[in-house]
Amino acid sequence: MPPRVFEEIVLPHLNAAFNYARWLTGNDEDAEDVVQDACLRAMRYFASLRDDDARAWLFAIVRNTWYSRLSKRSRGGDTAPLDDSGDEPPDNQLDPEALLLQRHAVARVRAALEQLPVDFREVIVLREIEGLSYKEIAAIVRVPIGTVMSRLARARDRLATMLTASVPLMERVG
Amino acid sequence: MICDDVERDLDLYVDRELGPDSDAVLRQHLRGCVACRRRVVDREAIGRLVRSMPYHPAPDRLRVHVLTRSKRGRSRRTALAWAAAAVLVVSLSTGIALVHSSRAAGELGADAVANAVVDGHVRSLMADHLVDVASTDRHIVKPWFLGRLDFSPPVRDLASLGFPLVGGRLDYLSGRPVAALVYQRQKHTINVFIWPASVEPAAAGPRFIRGFNVREWSRDGTTFWAVSDVNDVELTQFVRALQES
Repeated sequence: MPPRVFEEIVLPHLNAAFNYARWLTGNDEDAEDVVQDACLRAMRYFASLRDDDARAWLFAIVRNTWYSRLSKRSRGGDTAPLDDSGDEPPDNQLDPEALLLQRHAVARVRAALEQLPVDFREVIVLREIEGLSYKEIAAIVRVPIGTVMSRLARARDRLATMLTASVPLMERVG
Repeated sequence: MICDDVERDLDLYVDRELGPDSDAVLRQHLRGCVACRRRVVDREAIGRLVRSMPYHPAPDRLRVHVLTRSKRGRSRRTALAWAAAAVLVVSLSTGIALVHSSRAAGELGADAVANAVVDGHVRSLMADHLVDVASTDRHIVKPWFLGRLDFSPPVRDLASLGFPLVGGRLDYLSGRPVAALVYQRQKHTINVFIWPASVEPAAAGPRFIRGFNVREWSRDGTTFWAVSDVNDVELTQFVRALQES
């Protein structure tokens, strides 16, 4: 059996790791730093990767890396700066009005997600975007499965409130 | 089932995390309850909105950086193994015979473990992580493993025979946590990996893998693997001392 090679097993999950880090940190530069550090750690501990779930393993390392950086800087991570919403790739299939609506929908959801406390935001990202099970999320976030469930429920309650608020979200935060 | 139960299980339901029985009961309720169907639809809509967000792919610069570091790390490991092999060539020239093993076919399992043992040894030398508990006192090293492993490795000090104990470490081999005991022979390190035997061991013979001598034996339901760049004669002495102690 040939020895397992880091870039064949872990590197395919680099996009997922970056997307997760991007939602944790709230900006590209910090996400890049975190994932880079995390990959160096992952190389060091590659031999401890026991099962085939390299993605969940990498997520856990990304998360630990981010938290250790946060504690070094001793600042909270919940107030990520809001992005300019004008950088979405336009869908050319849509007419200008639909395009505008689509942009506003994306900006609105993004703003709502970014307003969530990070503990809630990460379970939403891991569940909805990465499609992980409660059990997998619990292992990454290191909380009981019941906590994953209650965080997801509360996160969705908050998103629902924000996205159906009578005052358009963009006017309040933008 | 009443609507309050749906409220409670709503997220489990949309996330497909309900057990099959509860799932069937909830579905049954949904067929007759418009309000709860509405709740489910609203809940699922939030998920769809989140999934409609653009994905943030890793920048190419990051990918290149990680790839470069990974390849560089591997070539360094290879260099280390060759350096160890070179040391052994020197020992050969001083007249120490090496016993090469010619293993029969059908021992791939043991060969894979032997390779993992060598990997573990090299890793312990590279990563500046030789021991978790540094002590020459077996009464300190042995209790350290309590609560960290589901078995208790036998720990002996062989300082009187020229193999002082350096400490212990947790390691991972072949998909399980194992005890690693670290001994010293002059400037050389000997790792002994210990875990409960799962199968009846094959007859143990000396192995020579990527520049390291490897020995395997079992005793009282426990598997032992010793690996080092010390020569075969000294490793044989060491193993015998450990077995007889």
